[in-house]
Amino acid sequence: MSRWAWVLVLAALAVGRRAEAAEVGSESDFWSVDVHAFASQGFIFTTHNNYLADNTKHGSFQFSELGINFTKELTDKLRMGLQLFAQDLGPTGNYDVKADWFYLDYHFSDYLGFRAGRTKIPFGLYNEVNDIDSARVPILLPQSVYPLQDRNYLLAQTGVELYGYARMRSAGALEYRLYGGTIFLNANNTPGSPEQVVNVNVPYVVGSRVLWETPLDGLRVGVSFQALRLDTDILINSTPVSVGVPVILAVGSAEYTVGDLVLTTEYSRWFAQSDSSNTAVFPALSIVSERAYAMATYRVNRWFQPGAYYSIFFPDVDHRSNRADLQNDVAVTLRFDLNPHWLVKLEGHYMAGTAGLDPTLNDGVPLASLDRYWLAFFAKTTAYF
Amino acid sequence: MRATPILLWRIVAAALCALVVFQAHAATPAPAFQVVVDRSNALTAVDRRFLADAFLKKVTTWPDGSIIRPADLAPSSSVRRRFSEEVIRRSVEAVKGYWQQRIFSGRDVPPPELDGDDAMVEYVLKHQGAVGYVSGAANVDGLKVLSVN
Repeated sequence: MSRWAWVLVLAALAVGRRAEAAEVGSESDFWSVDVHAFASQGFIFTTHNNYLADNTKHGSFQFSELGINFTKELTDKLRMGLQLFAQDLGPTGNYDVKADWFYLDYHFSDYLGFRAGRTKIPFGLYNEVNDIDSARVPILLPQSVYPLQDRNYLLAQTGVELYGYARMRSAGALEYRLYGGTIFLNANNTPGSPEQVVNVNVPYVVGSRVLWETPLDGLRVGVSFQALRLDTDILINSTPVSVGVPVILAVGSAEYTVGDLVLTTEYSRWFAQSDSSNTAVFPALSIVSERAYAMATYRVNRWFQPGAYYSIFFPDVDHRSNRADLQNDVAVTLRFDLNPHWLVKLEGHYMAGTAGLDPTLNDGVPLASLDRYWLAFFAKTTAYF
Repeated sequence: MRATPILLWRIVAAALCALVVFQAHAATPAPAFQVVVDRSNALTAVDRRFLADAFLKKVTTWPDGSIIRPADLAPSSSVRRRFSEEVIRRSVEAVKGYWQQRIFSGRDVPPPELDGDDAMVEYVLKHQGAVGYVSGAANVDGLKVLSVN
């Protein structure tokens, strides 16, 4: 764990002594800030294939997250905030502390607000809480629509955002967000891999989400779009290639909350094309992936919330039959809230297909040769305030 | 003495009326909660959905343009539980889940949580645009009670 990650943990613990108020300083004090934090530790065990981390077939604790955020209302309409975040998930994260989000927010009215900074991307219903364990029931959100491996591309963008909320009398209400900017990425390379990324650049990312809170209490539906371009220079077996990949992502969402039951379904398609400076080494591609899930969660009482979902993922809609062309995921999850600041979750997955796996975590074995049917078990505990 | 039966009936009628009024009064339980705002607030009644949106900070201004400053009671409060289920139409735990999403995605922070009726009354008295709720039996002198439609 890096020194900064330890500093982050110590800061969370120190502030946590005032957890009930989650506010440092008195309300009238200009320097008072709202402080919230979380720390999660997970365990992954799989049969047959390694998933998300190295050596999960023998069990892995390389599944940790911690964060602390500070929010300050400067005036009634002006607010600023910052969240520091560190994670370790298999080969990614390694507890490097990053500014997960930071912003300056001016709220003109309920119809229009403006943000500048690094902001979470509103894609689908839950993308913004993909790494916030306390904010959802399952340990893993359906990986078809919210893949953890793509966290760097999907979670946050640096730029500006317009947002608003419009009540429409008997027609319900609309929540809308529009954003544009860039994503700063580091070139991560697997040692020994024949493909080495020299640099990667995102010249633009733009997108929007509109959610309609319908007149039927508890029902909201929405659509999200995102367009971005990845420009990268790669060495493939020491041959340099420049590749540009424009990507468009779209998702339709519906969520119905009735009492303690929450039913959610989302359907998504991602469109990617690549243009290459050397098609002999890296061919130009055009590919459409399909992703969908249906999920139900139910709060039995204050401390117990079970849930289940079925998720499907086809990386290429034109090829659906082989094991590497699909991933079906049936998940059952249990959330136990031991007290208002501590929870434990247990989760089991029955997987069919290998499309969500990473060959580099499986000794370089191609997806088509990995086991088609496999199981994954997760346990996770999170403290938060 | 023709007046005597009439007088008797009048006494019986008055007694019955008094009994009906007493029973009606006795049968009306104190409300589970009262929604309170400061006296400068122009409203006398508020739409339930608007009030729910105000406590979820989806709407932030009163119709006259002034800032809404909502405050909650502690999660363990039975008054909060009733308010949450009847106005927000979500359990306290579901509302807490909503705020977890808002807090850690950097959208907003929840309203302050106060210890009880006295603290709530003091908060609403001190903050212009404040809105809160107290138990039905709470002393709300100095505040305005809104009816919820």
